[in-house]
Amino acid sequence: MSALYGLRVLDLADERGAFCTKLLADMGADTIRIEPPGGDRIREAGPFIKDIPDPEGSLCFWYHNTSKRGITLNLENIKGQEIFRKLASTADVIVESFPPGYLEKLGLDYEELKKINPRLIMTSITDFGQTGPYKNYKSCDIVASALGGQMYVCGDRDTPPLKPYGEQAYLVSSLFGAIGTMLALHRRHLCSEGQHVDVSMHECIAGVIEHVNVRYLYEQVTAQRQGTLHWNNAFRIFPCKDGYILLSLFQQWDTLVEWLESEGMAADLKDEKWRDHQLRLEEIDHVIQVLEQWTLKHTMTELMEQGQAMHFPWAAVNSVEELMDNVQLSERGFFVEVSHTKSNASFEYPGAPYKSSESPYRILRRAPLIGEHNEQVFGEELGFSEAEIAALLSAGII
Amino acid sequence: MDKAPQGLRVIDFTWVLAGPFATRILADWGAEVIKIQSKVTMPEGEQNTSGYFNTWNRNKLGIALNLSKPQGVEIAKRLVDISDIVVENFTPRVMRNWGLDYDILRKVKPDLIMLSMSGMGQTGPMRDCTAFGATIQALSGITHLTAFPGQPPLGLGYSYADHVAGLMGALAVLEALEDRRKTGKGQYIDLSELEAMSTLLGTAILDYSVNGRIASPVGNRPIHRLAAPYGAYRCKGEDRWCAIAVFTEEEWVAFCRVLGYPLWTKEERFSTLSDRWQNIDQLDLLVEEWTKERSPEEVMSILQEAGVAAGVVQNATDLSRDPQLQSRDFFVGIEHPTLGKISFDGSPIKLSDTPAQFKRAAPLLGQDNDYVYRELLGMSESEISEYTSAGVFG
Repeated sequence: MSALYGLRVLDLADERGAFCTKLLADMGADTIRIEPPGGDRIREAGPFIKDIPDPEGSLCFWYHNTSKRGITLNLENIKGQEIFRKLASTADVIVESFPPGYLEKLGLDYEELKKINPRLIMTSITDFGQTGPYKNYKSCDIVASALGGQMYVCGDRDTPPLKPYGEQAYLVSSLFGAIGTMLALHRRHLCSEGQHVDVSMHECIAGVIEHVNVRYLYEQVTAQRQGTLHWNNAFRIFPCKDGYILLSLFQQWDTLVEWLESEGMAADLKDEKWRDHQLRLEEIDHVIQVLEQWTLKHTMTELMEQGQAMHFPWAAVNSVEELMDNVQLSERGFFVEVSHTKSNASFEYPGAPYKSSESPYRILRRAPLIGEHNEQVFGEELGFSEAEIAALLSAGII
Repeated sequence: MDKAPQGLRVIDFTWVLAGPFATRILADWGAEVIKIQSKVTMPEGEQNTSGYFNTWNRNKLGIALNLSKPQGVEIAKRLVDISDIVVENFTPRVMRNWGLDYDILRKVKPDLIMLSMSGMGQTGPMRDCTAFGATIQALSGITHLTAFPGQPPLGLGYSYADHVAGLMGALAVLEALEDRRKTGKGQYIDLSELEAMSTLLGTAILDYSVNGRIASPVGNRPIHRLAAPYGAYRCKGEDRWCAIAVFTEEEWVAFCRVLGYPLWTKEERFSTLSDRWQNIDQLDLLVEEWTKERSPEEVMSILQEAGVAAGVVQNATDLSRDPQLQSRDFFVGIEHPTLGKISFDGSPIKLSDTPAQFKRAAPLLGQDNDYVYRELLGMSESEISEYTSAGVFG
């Protein structure tokens, strides 16, 4: 059985927290996504199936909302707020990403909700957190990547700073949010009380930049961009016959030189003096030049397979297509089929981020349609009659 | 009883970043994490007084234990017997070679939770691949995609995937604890860093599996949500930049107001979001005409005051002075036994009642031998001296 089975999560989050609630839902929590009547703005995110914009066809929405149920509810309406309070009294966790102060205006902030449900945990994933001089500032994926110190070190010396692909700021903040939620759940087992989890996207990015803060705090070094050369010069990307390959530059030097030499491509690197690690670091441009002549004679697959056979941590620079053809991933069943009744088809999704032997993480079903579970939640679970639901619907409350 | 994973003991066989980042989260919330190191088997880069080691191993205890000796392996098992969780991030053959794999350890401690983090996972034809963060990023597609349009791949230049794997690993352990509370059972978690990283590329993967489109690099352009202007704009000063993102009509109006309504803002080619998007290259040049006369701090602050998302492309020096990070105590200082006062990033997770606590610096090699071997395992003086002279604690 899934680990979070029996737990109820209310999902009010936008793109900042959608992946957080997906993680909780895929772990088995009954996660109810609450959208404004007519559907959420995050359904406008592309790409769309067949490239036709459609709130039910956003692939970005599909992926980040698996295993959730979906209802519509107008939180800015007094009756809507009353219904939300009812739901909150049945919930274990609320995940939200509104600007700080918004829920308070609606009377739905954590302090208020905790009065009706002391066990409630609220996780807020916001641009800058609930406090501090920037708390009312606006952010988004690229602004978080910039302010968090990530963009400055990505890219080349002569290019602008480069944002890593995908909306990583939202995803990594969601991950921290999910961990914070689980920490609060653990603590709740001990004292039966919920708490507020405050996650700042700005800090999340500043917390996943490996060397950047470390080198500044210990060596007063301000890390710079250096193209494909890894920050510690351990790796670099080289062009080859049919694409690009990531090579480690300094591991098992003698083996590497022997290999190049066997193909007559080692140039002067076979000189004894290059066995000095320090010299190689100082003259790295020369080492790179010789290696590049060699990689251009080979394919990605040749270099990766032969390199890995000799325990070099090398890798082909894959496209998404090559990732999906990866034999390791298919052998392990990483990609899973998710069926979409509306399109009458199944599509491959990335599955579990890890394999647990007892409480499997799994996608239970596709993302919900707009208001798909209104009847189930408002009728069967909250006990509204058909007539009441119809009235709520025509009043624009659900 | 005020800490979340308090009362839990973790035996930590991890090294470099991915594994230590996972166990650091457990340690920050009160779990007793015992890091096992050895002068003999310690991989390069695990130097206890380096900034790197200190950053990812704070709040942990450290013992020296030589696992190439059979007695070392027996002692590791005694520790597992009194622990809840084991975490390791070697290539799959290492724990097996020591005789410390899950099938053996579960006999020692039946409700053990064990997390193995490796590049490719414990099964499959590529399980023995040698992989670091950069390797995983290349295989996952994020390196290929992190580039300017039509240009060769640049990638991230640092081991982002290790952070991602560490976060997923911590999440998996917390999930397994939740399960153990209900069922009384432990479990084994097989984390492939490639799979963990790939779950952060879900939309690109769906675009391929649904539409057959192979995602291509977009540089600093938005991918899922339309916005213009959007990107990093050159500002006054050496290598100074400010990111700006204008999504809504309201934000565009505010943006034009801040710029003082130059004539081009009224031109037809920029009148709607879709027009601006069509003419984004021209728009970018005009925006940069404005930003390059100003410091990035000024651009950020006047745009933010007007309600437009903007942020300095901060470098490490900027981060250390960032008023928002300071006001939220993002950086934490602590006393180290030999390095004096050291600093590191705290935690982006702020729990209202049970915040992370930063009680001690990372251990020196074998710093907690006494506590672990004498107090926890109750070894006698003669046992200690026997193991010491046999090089088991080396």
